[in-house]
Parts: sequence; structure tokens; C-alpha cells
Amino acid sequence: MYTLRFSPDSASLIVRLILEELALPYEARQIDRAAGELSSPEYRALHPLGKIPAMETPNGPMFESAAILLYLSDRHPGLAPAPDAQDRAAFLKWFFFTSTNIHTTLMDIYYPERVAGDAAAGSVVTHASAKMKTLLAAINQAAEDNPNWLSFEQPSLLGYYIAVLMRWLGQNDPEATGYIKASDYPALHKVLAMLEMRPASLAVAAAEGLGKTIFTMPS
Amino acid sequence: MYVLHYAPDNASLIIRLVLEEMGLPYRTALVDRRIRAQDSAEYRAVNPTGLIPALQSSEETLFETAAILLWLSDKHGQMAPTIGDEHRGNFLKWLFFTANTLHADARLLFYPEQYAGSPDDHVAFRGKTEVRISKHLRLLNDIAASAPPYLNKERPSVLSIYICCLIRWINLYPVDRKGWLPLHDYPALFEISKGLQDRPATHRVADAEGLGPTIFTEPHYANPPEGSAL
Repeated sequence: MYTLRFSPDSASLIVRLILEELALPYEARQIDRAAGELSSPEYRALHPLGKIPAMETPNGPMFESAAILLYLSDRHPGLAPAPDAQDRAAFLKWFFFTSTNIHTTLMDIYYPERVAGDAAAGSVVTHASAKMKTLLAAINQAAEDNPNWLSFEQPSLLGYYIAVLMRWLGQNDPEATGYIKASDYPALHKVLAMLEMRPASLAVAAAEGLGKTIFTMPS
Repeated sequence: MYVLHYAPDNASLIIRLVLEEMGLPYRTALVDRRIRAQDSAEYRAVNPTGLIPALQSSEETLFETAAILLWLSDKHGQMAPTIGDEHRGNFLKWLFFTANTLHADARLLFYPEQYAGSPDDHVAFRGKTEVRISKHLRLLNDIAASAPPYLNKERPSVLSIYICCLIRWINLYPVDRKGWLPLHDYPALFEISKGLQDRPATHRVADAEGLGPTIFTEPHYANPPEGSAL
């Protein structure tokens, strides 16, 4: 049994989609951000930095979205190549690429003042937005071969991870430099279109009030 | 036989130390940064992102430092908790934290021009980054103080090598901030650094890339006898 500490449409969304897709028993416990729960000693015991998500597991508390995803997929196979599979290496490099490049660059776009202070925030957004387009083009190219770890025919750990990141980029003001239109990346767009129709996506979207088409046309 | 695409004292150093420590057969292929070979068509065919390192195996060409570390440790059953081990989850969270938080912030120090354009912005930018890096290291030091199997001074791990290399570069770059990080503020990590730099595997790599005898605790700039790209 897993207990996911979540806040609607935050990074916990990625983990929740995977828990649903793997049909694992879990409890979703909403974090009371307004009451400062992220700074509470109880939450800090789960996550020393007070970030979202955290998940209680039989092996103790977990955090870091991508680490939780990999931990789950290695315990409950089906959404990523097994450790001894031929395509494990290809999966791992693009999975880490997504965590260390795409996810971090997305944070630079949305929270530039954390990186550089208010004075340089505009410059950070400009650089990060240009970089994001290069990163997405690279992984779009990797998706063109329809590998089973990023396929438009079957759900995957990496597919969901990318889909949520593209959801957030698509929520930006279309006039903003950081706005990304999913259909500009055709191979990824096919993955997103398939994933948002999955029962797992529909169930999580209903639970968190995210609407339909949560990946291709996020509201 | 693995082929490690490297540049002296670049992120490839992390992988090279692990290959040596595991005793695996490999050869190196220099990516000559003086002529920006990382942007050449040949290297982009190996790694479309142009980043160093890349590791070629018979099956696949890998990139992303942490992906290579995890793949090597799983494949060879060394230097990290295996799947099913009770420490696996904790190991993964600190590996990802190191890759997407500590390493990502270290890159802001090394290449500020890639993140904030005007040199006028770099001072504030650097100050904020140094504060964040100090916090990350305090957190990792607390973990190291409890000596889990994946981060202790008794046995090398892929995570301890990764963190110690980052500490080395944080203290070397940019050159006008050399030595800014007080290592003694992180005593558990300092002990791990001392242990690692005295290992035969580390000495072999340090000799090959010209890094001197104290590559973690008293780092100086590389003066490589082979394949200088500096």
C-alpha cells in the first residue's frame, strides 16, 4: 500500500497517473498548502525539502518524482523495460534526460526568480524557452521510431512523464515565450493523444478536476 | 569493451572512475572541446544532445551521466543497491536529487551564459546558486553521516563518486571563485572524498587525466598527459 501526498495538478500528478495505470492500491492524501503543511515537521519527515510529491512506501518515504516512478516501475513491471531488457539503456538515457533537462528547464521557465533573482528573471525565461524547444525536438525524434518505452500504442512511464510536462508548458499564455504547443512535436503529440484517453488519465482528471484532453489541450 | 567518449576533467570523469573501480574493460575516445568536437556531425551521431560523456556498449550508446551510472551498476551488480534491496528506493531518490538538483545547479555556476544572458546578471545569479548548492550539500552530508550502503566512506559507490566529482568542479569553476566551498563544513562528505581519492582506481584515472594526487580535497586544474582538450 502506498500513500501519495498530493496537491492537484502539481508534480504528484505524474506519480498518481502511474499508480492508476498500474492499478496499484494507494491512498491519495491532499496536502493543505494554505495551512503550511509543507513546512510541518510531519511533512518534513517525509521530505526534508518540503516539496511535492512525497510518497510513503513499504521501504519508507520516497520523494523526487522520477525516482518514485522508477522505484514503482521496477517493483511493478509493465510500463518500462526491465533491468535486463535490451532496451533498458535507451529508456534510461531518455528518462534521465527528461528529469535532468526537460523538467529542470521547465522549472526555470515557471520560477526564474528562484534561479537568478528578480533582476535576471526575464533573461532566464528567454534562455530556458529556447532551450526547451531544442530538448523537445530531441526527444520527439527519439519517439519517431515508436519505441515501446515512449509509444503511441501503449502506456509507458516516460510517456506519462513527458505528457504531464507538456501539459504544463501548454498551460502557459500562448503569447508567452515559454508557451509550447504539443502539436508542434508530432511524435510526442500522438503519445499524448493516446494517453489522455486512458481510463487511468480520465480517473485522475476527474479526481483532480482537470477536464478532458488533459495533455493535448490542457485547461 | 566499452568506449567512453570523454574530455579531460569533464563529466566523463565520473563514468571513468566507476569503470576503473568496477574493473571493466574500456577504451577512451577524446571529444576535442578546443575545436568544439561535441558539436560535430560525428559526435552528434553518437549523442544527439552533444553533451559529454557518452558510453558505447555493444548494445546501445548511452548518455546522461546518471543514466549511465544506474545502468552500469545494475548490469554489473556493483556499487549500488540492486532492485529489491531495501535501500534501492532511497538510493534512487538521492541519485535523482544529485542529477537534477545538485548537478543542474552546478552547471549554472560553470556555464552562466547558457542560463542568463548578460554578464551584469551573473553576480546575483552566482550568489543565489552558491546558496542553493550549500543547502544541497548540507542535506547530502546529513545522509552521508548516517552511512547508508550507497553513501559511506568504507566502500565506493556510484553516488559517492558522482557527488565527490561535483564537489571538485564546484570548487574549481568558475576560476575566479576557486576554492569558495568550505569542505570542512561537510565533514561526512569530506571523509568520503579523502577515502575515494586514495583508491588505486582513482590514482589511475587522475594520472591519465593529469588531475594530481588530491583530486577531491585539494583540487587543481587538469594538466593532462593525454588528449588535452583544455
